[in-house]
Amino acid sequence: MASNYVSRMGLDRRRWLKLCVSSGLAASLPGALVGAQSSPRACSPPIPQNREPSNGGLCPYPIPWLDKNGNHNQAAMPNVELSSIYHFKGKLARCSGFHGMGTDDKGNRLAWGTPTTDYSYMAGEYWAARQPRQGIFAHT
Amino acid sequence: MPVPSNGLTFSSDGKMATLQVSNAAIIDQPRWPAMDAESTPAFLDFRLVFTATDEPVKYEDPMRQYRFEGVKATAQLEATVRVPSIDFAFKTDPLETSKSDFGVMGTEVNGRYYGS
Repeated sequence: MASNYVSRMGLDRRRWLKLCVSSGLAASLPGALVGAQSSPRACSPPIPQNREPSNGGLCPYPIPWLDKNGNHNQAAMPNVELSSIYHFKGKLARCSGFHGMGTDDKGNRLAWGTPTTDYSYMAGEYWAARQPRQGIFAHT
Repeated sequence: MPVPSNGLTFSSDGKMATLQVSNAAIIDQPRWPAMDAESTPAFLDFRLVFTATDEPVKYEDPMRQYRFEGVKATAQLEATVRVPSIDFAFKTDPLETSKSDFGVMGTEVNGRYYGS
């Protein structure tokens, strides 16, 4: 369900939408990947202090049979798992196959969208760190 | 990606949902899915609107423990993307000019919630 967009001048599956494909990933990129100092993701399991229990982190579970980012390998379509979060209940919407036009900063008119330009929202309860949590998430 | 509580809104009748995200940190990775595909930081603003139809859908797989119940929906999107490292920006035409081939909106249960 990779997102891909602008389809011309090499702006197809590459530019824009590798862009989006990876938005969730990039949004959560730890400093470890971009700098010398690593900083854990906000939802990573905390290191217990003072003998506190360790029950895992707040990150939602990925869908077991999909990749960790919930994309790349399953386009949105009927009769597939549409959520990117496992152990989830709540509101969900998903769409794919956008078509449209746009303009770049040089004034060039470009078409965007492919069958795998894919977006969703998930809003509700998910299970993490052995407790129910509330959250709103988007997949792009 | 996590979305602030004001990033997802619904119409009073629940038939229209708007997802709006600003300045999302994303990456531009032209050669994906090559394992060594280089990536550069980029930023995305988008507004996505789902509008429900009256056509019900239900997707369920007991083996994989998921159930989606809802309706087919139309979806429209407008977005702006910026890739500072290559001085590139792109803005789609207004939302009303876009269309999608597939869309659904409803409710989902999966995993430990599937049996409930």
